[in-house]
Amino acid sequence: MMFPQFGATAESLSKASTAMFRIGTDAHLYDDPEDVSIGPLLDSKFDSEKCEALKRLLALIAQGFDVSNFFPQVVKNVASQSLEVKKLVYLYLLHYAEKRPNEALLSINCFQKDLGDTNPLVRAWALRAMAGIRLHVIAPLVLLAVQKCARDPSVYVRKCAANALPKLHDLRMEEHASAIEEIVGLLLNDHSPGVVGAAASAFTSVCPNNFSLIGKNYKRLCEILPDVEEWGQIILIGILLRYVIARHGLVKESVMFSLNNNKDVGNLEEDESYITSIEDASYAIDMTVSELANMIFQCYIEGPDEYLSRSSSTNRVPPKLDVSQYISCSNDVVRILLQCTSPLLWSNNSAVVLAAAGVHWIMASKEHIKRIVKPLLFVLRSSSASRYVVLCNIQVFAKAMPSLFAPHYEDFFIFSSDSYQIKALKLDILSSIATDSSISLICKEFQDYIRDPDRRFSADTVAAIGVCAQRLPNMAASCLEGLLTLVRQELFCGEVRSLDGEESVLIQSIISIKSIIKLEPSSYEKVIIRLVRSLDKIKVPTARAIIIWMLGKYCSLGEIIPRMLSTVLKYLAQYFTSEALETKLQILNTTAKVLLCIKGEDILTVRKIWNYVIELAECDLNYDIRDRSRFLKKILSSNWESQHGAGENSESQKSDQSYILAECLFGGDTKAVRVPSEPIDYRFYLPGSLSQLVFHAAPGYEPLPKPCSQPYTDLDQYDGAAKSDSDEEENTGTSGSLNEESASDYSSEQSITASGGVSGSDESVSGNKGEDNADPLIQISDSGNVCENQNGGAPSGTTGFQDLMSTKSLESWLDEPTRSSKGSEIEQSRVCRSSARITIGNIGSRVKPKCYTLLDPANGNGLKVHYSFLSDTSSISSHLVCLEVLFENCSLEPMLDIVLIDEDYSKSSDSKDQISSPAQNTLKFHVDKPALVSMEEIPSLEPGQTENRMLLVRFHHHLLPLKLSLFCNDKKFPVKLKPDIGYFVKPLPISIEDFREKESHLPGMFEYVRSCTFTDHILELNKGSNSLTEDKFLVICEKLALKMLSNANLSLVSVDMPVATNLDDASGLCLRFSCEILSNSMPCLITVTVEGKCCDPLIVSVKVNCEETVFGLNFLNRVINFLVEPSVPHL
Amino acid sequence: MLQCIFLLSDAGEVMLEKQLSRHCVDRSICAWFWEQAISLGDSFKQQPVITSPTHYIFQVFRDGITFLGCTQVEMPPLMAIEFLCRVADVLNDYFGALKEDILKDNFVIVYELLDEMIDNGFPLTTEPSILREMITPPNMVNKALSIVTGSSSNVKDTLPRATASCIPWRTSEPKYSNNDVYVDLVEEMDAIINRDGGLLKCEIYGEVQVNSHISGLPDLTLSFKNPSILDDVRFHPCVRFRPWESHQILSFVPPDGQFKLMGYRVRKLMSTPIYVKPQLTSDGGTCRLSVLVGTRNDPGKTIDSVTVQFQLPPFIISADLTSNHGTVNILDKKTCIWSIGRIPKDKAPSMSGTLVIETGLERLHVFPSFQVGFRIMGVALSGLQIDKLDLKNVTYRFYKGFRALTRAGEFEIRS
Repeated sequence: MMFPQFGATAESLSKASTAMFRIGTDAHLYDDPEDVSIGPLLDSKFDSEKCEALKRLLALIAQGFDVSNFFPQVVKNVASQSLEVKKLVYLYLLHYAEKRPNEALLSINCFQKDLGDTNPLVRAWALRAMAGIRLHVIAPLVLLAVQKCARDPSVYVRKCAANALPKLHDLRMEEHASAIEEIVGLLLNDHSPGVVGAAASAFTSVCPNNFSLIGKNYKRLCEILPDVEEWGQIILIGILLRYVIARHGLVKESVMFSLNNNKDVGNLEEDESYITSIEDASYAIDMTVSELANMIFQCYIEGPDEYLSRSSSTNRVPPKLDVSQYISCSNDVVRILLQCTSPLLWSNNSAVVLAAAGVHWIMASKEHIKRIVKPLLFVLRSSSASRYVVLCNIQVFAKAMPSLFAPHYEDFFIFSSDSYQIKALKLDILSSIATDSSISLICKEFQDYIRDPDRRFSADTVAAIGVCAQRLPNMAASCLEGLLTLVRQELFCGEVRSLDGEESVLIQSIISIKSIIKLEPSSYEKVIIRLVRSLDKIKVPTARAIIIWMLGKYCSLGEIIPRMLSTVLKYLAQYFTSEALETKLQILNTTAKVLLCIKGEDILTVRKIWNYVIELAECDLNYDIRDRSRFLKKILSSNWESQHGAGENSESQKSDQSYILAECLFGGDTKAVRVPSEPIDYRFYLPGSLSQLVFHAAPGYEPLPKPCSQPYTDLDQYDGAAKSDSDEEENTGTSGSLNEESASDYSSEQSITASGGVSGSDESVSGNKGEDNADPLIQISDSGNVCENQNGGAPSGTTGFQDLMSTKSLESWLDEPTRSSKGSEIEQSRVCRSSARITIGNIGSRVKPKCYTLLDPANGNGLKVHYSFLSDTSSISSHLVCLEVLFENCSLEPMLDIVLIDEDYSKSSDSKDQISSPAQNTLKFHVDKPALVSMEEIPSLEPGQTENRMLLVRFHHHLLPLKLSLFCNDKKFPVKLKPDIGYFVKPLPISIEDFREKESHLPGMFEYVRSCTFTDHILELNKGSNSLTEDKFLVICEKLALKMLSNANLSLVSVDMPVATNLDDASGLCLRFSCEILSNSMPCLITVTVEGKCCDPLIVSVKVNCEETVFGLNFLNRVINFLVEPSVPHL
Repeated sequence: MLQCIFLLSDAGEVMLEKQLSRHCVDRSICAWFWEQAISLGDSFKQQPVITSPTHYIFQVFRDGITFLGCTQVEMPPLMAIEFLCRVADVLNDYFGALKEDILKDNFVIVYELLDEMIDNGFPLTTEPSILREMITPPNMVNKALSIVTGSSSNVKDTLPRATASCIPWRTSEPKYSNNDVYVDLVEEMDAIINRDGGLLKCEIYGEVQVNSHISGLPDLTLSFKNPSILDDVRFHPCVRFRPWESHQILSFVPPDGQFKLMGYRVRKLMSTPIYVKPQLTSDGGTCRLSVLVGTRNDPGKTIDSVTVQFQLPPFIISADLTSNHGTVNILDKKTCIWSIGRIPKDKAPSMSGTLVIETGLERLHVFPSFQVGFRIMGVALSGLQIDKLDLKNVTYRFYKGFRALTRAGEFEIRS
């Protein structure tokens, strides 16, 4: 049988026992989908047989087999009257439609017919299937269908129409964007909550920033929210939140505002009190907490660009928000939103609860924010997967505002059945919400956790104790005591045998002790002494290293430590050779520190020890240790000599440079490295988002809009809103005064923003804000640009951009008509930019694009047609790709009237008149754009003669071939033009700095890496064995660059030479290329890194950074393919 | 939005794939997933959100079946997880259980369900009662019919009328000869008892489950005698918020059949119905274990299905445990389970024995936790009491029934 894995299960006994149970199910179809030949069944006239065949096909799809070859036969059945057959056909069709676009078109007729059916189920299915096919060519038809279904009497059909909108939007039909948005608006206005939910989802994927659609319905949408079905609620909550922020700004009473505000208003007073209360560590903690909260909220608003620019610059002060960007929470707009989202906190669906909690977190006043606590804690009891997600979000809430969850610490007590991730999250939350009153119970809890069999978890618990002790200094002493007991216990176990997990517990307890001591070293002198004395028992290198570090750090502390230094150092020196690397390094450092600060009679002993240790270290096998010892010797010995020479002259001693340096390095109050309250250098994302869970901005993540970035732009819109409001008033006849109130509110709102805009420049001149204070006017225009880019946007904007593009490309085309000149230009730019200064001959002239066969002379009656992709870009449209087609007459007779046309298009253009007629059920479909710019006809071609033609082609797909017809001597040859994704881009000459910058904006999911082997250079290297004249690197560079440039339309940005001592090792060679996707001008960056020996096959890793995921991946695959391909000798 | 859903069997085999977006997600991602699951073990399988090289994967594991949802773009992760859980619930509801064989046998229905439940990555119809009207669940009549006639259709011809109504959870106007409503209080008790025997926390998570078979379009109200003990609540979409906010009255139009009307939580209970006292002493390479179980504050009803389960610590190489009541079994992964059943009146069940520690280790320094299971019929330990259930909008007589049940949830005793 073909499928061994299923054969095996078929024979298993369990199957036999359940055989009875399976009678009447589709079991036999899944087990043996191919035991009957499917083809004839599909053509059967009985529905039951058709059903069986379709089920078999579905079984094959389920099992991962490609059965797309049945496509034509299946499509025929779309006309069946049986609903089950229809459903099965749709399932099949949608699975393969993208693979077999042309056949899929055959089904359009039936869909069009079904759309007029009386059964709403049939209409809905037809619409879903039709939209699901997702072909550019039928997009206009689908749009018509959606327009019709959006007004369908059936709620279900309207819901499906809303769901079809994102599918249409996926096809990137800029010309229809406004029509699609109009339908979104229509459906958002629907009276059925079910439709509104689906429309909300369409809104987020089609036009997430078109807030005018929301503005018209804001109040109604809020009121309908509790009735919308749960999935729609999740999306709609997010939309309403964004709308309120973009239109009205943030809430004055919210946590978000109070934190921002405190910081800039109370700065002066705080500075004074800061000095007096600097001893009070809890105050410092509070400061860091509010700073964290500040950071969190700032992250919610700023996009990746702002974040990067802020974190790179040293100035970390967040841009302050204008007071005019805040509104009161008693404002109607906010009040309604909070009122309508708060019952959703009782939802059964945890995603709804979290979304509602997110709105309250950002919008609600501090008193009301408490409302989210209990519902969030309740969600913790649902499935473990959602528990994890909710905990991740609570973690952020709890850190920003510990008081919120502090009374509920019991809910974070850990069950041994929790998964490790959940345990870790709960621990972290517990340690950040502990208060003076709860800490004793929490610590008792921690003691239980330390005895848990999962040692990784115990180690985490020990770390958490350290964090608690730092947050609540009152507890530090007792925590420390507990930790010391633990160390003793661990030592006891460690004596018997060392266990994997135990080590980490021990290390963690020493780290925690260290961080507690750091709070107030003077009172913990005895602890340090106890630790030092336990050195001979502690065998774990990391733990030893930390204790030795503490000895060095606190070597001048108190009375006893300075006296025991020489003894301890002697002991350390004695066993120096048997220590582990990290311990050795710490011994060196500590000895140096002691040497610097020691006074009195011990100084000579210490120097002796120092010499001894340095001598040992200089002969160590590890070069880190040798390096460290040489460095220390150098820096300290000069100090020592000067000390010697100058005798008592302490002035010259101090002025000695290296002494000062050494003081700085070892003597000074160095900042400890492993402090838990290190500066916050990570980003936060909106509550409930995927990005918050994966800790990077997932593609499509949008921060909150800028407060008040989208005030009402024109009166018409506002009037519309008022009108709809009054309409509603008439209909419902309730709360009229309320509506009026809100309407007046709107207008006052508008006047405020308008005046803000006018006076904006004045304000900035008067300049009582810093330079980085963006006034509202600038902010508006900024975000306007942003959303335009993201949308792919407003039609006027894009056309302007396209004009710009085409003129630019025209210029470039005129300036550099041939490949070679362009190549040399690239060459020049490269030479002056690359610091490594490799010259790669005259590479431009050697770049030769690959030739493909369009028509073989054997099939074409002697006509041979080849084509190759040109690096030029079309001046007509950015979607067109340039090709050079070479016609050659290999026969003995002349050929006449050779022309290449796109038949599908010419056919449909004939029937265009029909289409434009109002009859909607016209069966023809039309291609909205020709695939081919018509080619100049070749009147005749003599035998042996060749002729060139340039061709502009619009490929419908990156990978699928385009079907064309070639006419010659009135005979038609169907030909297929294969696209080459390497030419769907155009060179983007940029500097290496720009490259780096762009690259840094495209991390994570936008980065794709693959490796392959590269062998092109081997032949050349072996041939030219006179390696004196030939530089091997050069050859590799040249071959690699040649390969890349001949197979894709790229621009070479830089070549980095490897910095290796070994001349044979090419590892580190790095070539960077850049280009820009033709269709949407998104940059696409390619980095090629080489690894391996020069004369062997090299391992080349190719990295593509590109915002368009699918394109990037396909492009990467193409690059790998041609790199691996052995080269055809050029010239 | 979700781009693809995969159903994986216990052995990592892809049983089903359902593509939802324009670009197919290759099933090689499942192979990647499974490799990771094997190499990283449990901690990977417990990760609900995974970043793979090409996609973000949401993972829900239920009864041996792994549900994977893939996406490349930002979406609310809980939405994906909730949806996958909902799919698992619906399949479980349709086929009675979630098992590899059953899913394979009914793969056509699974496909039809998925197609109805999600469209373009956004959930479409997830209300179980509506789904049941659109796609017939397999039952004996269907099966018999398909054997006789050779064909059967599980796709209904008409759209459920509920999709158009303002109460999308209720099927349109069913007719019953006997009208009855059953209300069950099903409670789970969570408790942690620390090693000193102190009750750290004890609380109840309860559900009000309703099974209604009522003709027409009834409007029900349910009230409690002591709603103030409820700490927090969650509602089925059918519950109206207003009456609850003002008077703590549940007012709703019920779906037809079984559903969860409400979930609630009662915190800070003072006692547990049973006690479990483990004692571990270790010295000289062995460890003595004894566990005592007994009733405390007799709830008035019999406690049955009592089990005590714990994980042997990693350094234990063998265990010899006996009990005076019930059976002791050591399962794979060193899980030890003591099934007591009903606690006898005359004696307190106890289990005792020795655990042998790995050589070289003097005594135990890590201690297991004991998970306790029990069930008490007829009692809601939270003390929540139903006051009355009224039916409006109907003229006929109907039967009301109330039941209660408490069982152990996460009930843990540390040693």
